[in-house]
Amino acid sequence: MSHKNSVILLVLIALSTPAWIPAQNSAKLNEELPAGAMQQKATTACLECHEARIIVQQRLSKAVWTKEVDKMVKWGAVVDANDRDALIDYLSGNFGPGQPEYSAPRSAQEKTTVRSTRQTSK
Amino acid sequence: MDSRRTFLKTLSGAAVGVAALAGWPAWAQTTEQSSSINLPGEDGMIVRSQRFLDLETSVEYFDSWLTPVSHFFVRNHMHEPVERNAGDWRLTVGGEVDKVSTFSLRELTQLPVHSVVNTLECAGNGRGFYRPQVPGIQWQKGAVGTARFSGPRLADILHRADVKSSGKHVMFRGLDEVPGKVPPFIRSIPIEKALDSDTLIATHMNGAPLTKHHGFPARALVPGWIGAASCKWLEEIKILESEFVGNFMSPGYRFPNQVVKPGDSVKPEDTHVVTGLNVKSVISGPLDGSSLKSGQVTVHGIAWAGEADIVKVEISIDGGSSWNPATLGREQSRYAWRLWTFSWNAKRGDYLIQSRATDSRGRAQPMEAAWNPSGYLYNAIDQVKIHVA
Repeated sequence: MSHKNSVILLVLIALSTPAWIPAQNSAKLNEELPAGAMQQKATTACLECHEARIIVQQRLSKAVWTKEVDKMVKWGAVVDANDRDALIDYLSGNFGPGQPEYSAPRSAQEKTTVRSTRQTSK
Repeated sequence: MDSRRTFLKTLSGAAVGVAALAGWPAWAQTTEQSSSINLPGEDGMIVRSQRFLDLETSVEYFDSWLTPVSHFFVRNHMHEPVERNAGDWRLTVGGEVDKVSTFSLRELTQLPVHSVVNTLECAGNGRGFYRPQVPGIQWQKGAVGTARFSGPRLADILHRADVKSSGKHVMFRGLDEVPGKVPPFIRSIPIEKALDSDTLIATHMNGAPLTKHHGFPARALVPGWIGAASCKWLEEIKILESEFVGNFMSPGYRFPNQVVKPGDSVKPEDTHVVTGLNVKSVISGPLDGSSLKSGQVTVHGIAWAGEADIVKVEISIDGGSSWNPATLGREQSRYAWRLWTFSWNAKRGDYLIQSRATDSRGRAQPMEAAWNPSGYLYNAIDQVKIHVA
């Protein structure tokens, strides 16, 4: 194998996700609410009290989102009555049961730790 | 409020751009610090939320009987209180008492100290596995940890206040900062549990003062019960004639009295307050999706049962057709999890490894956990898939 091919192979190995790594590499460090007609109003109504990640990790039916929105309005979220249904549609459309699984980021490691499965070779 | 915002801004400002390694298991990472969120004192934690701070322990850290504070899960319902001078902090004890009492931290630490090794688990640990999914932090396996909590017995504090015979419940109020019109995080426990000699007002965790995220300067420690019973940043204890009435007692932290069809709603009158933890085990290694060489493999993990004792953990390597006894670790304490191991000569192939714990009350982990609208007390048999080459 030529040096060039060896380098390409190493790069490909480095870029490919090994089978034993859970599919979590889409985790976002800074979550934002997705684009859409209600993005700005949802940001104003919801993110005053908590971050987007609390919403983004949910996978809920429209009926459950309806209960959540009504509960949050009771708890102080400012949602114009005319926007309620559109907000529920926005949340259930983006964070419904059919959406891809959410993956959470990790906090930095305080010290480099390499852990492995306990295994002894025979 | 400004201090809190500054603190939060500092946290969010510390978060840097997305990188390919974010979310990878800690043992697969090297020094990719820029790919993860910088949370001082928290080591490789799964960040379920930064505001409010909710951190989950990754299962590979469940390899010691006591969980280091830097790996101990953090559960907040709302904003943490602003930094305060510990010298100004006071704990008041009132309600159905003859002597309303106030304790400074110094006075609290002068009371006889008792230590309890306790497995603390969030009631919602495993919520993310319920189908259909239910609202809340989508915890998977790691909203649980074991630590040595130390501080005065709650009973000693209550005796100083001379609780009246009318006092049947003990209410805890913390200093959590309440956003908007959210109900304050206040809960109560029955007087019998409060007077138990292992129920503490903890000031220390694993021999060091509580950190801010774990309730400095003092928290309740209600052993064997869901984490929500152990109120953090405690500022008030109030003795009540009846159970506290508030959102975090009802509808929060209640479990259906009967089996519920997944997705169905449940009337409040058909529920009860969640108290003790379920019997449960978690496999901490090999990790799900890992690929190993054939040979001797040690399956290892943790098992706990709240106020009951773990009597056995069984492992299946054939998808549940047969079960083999695991060896329980020597370290044990009434409310603490047991470590366990199972060694196995692995031949080439793909395997579904499962763990099943049974406790002293005869409870065993079910194949499927009992779905409930709030996603509490998930305790299905744990499992990982591995490949042996």
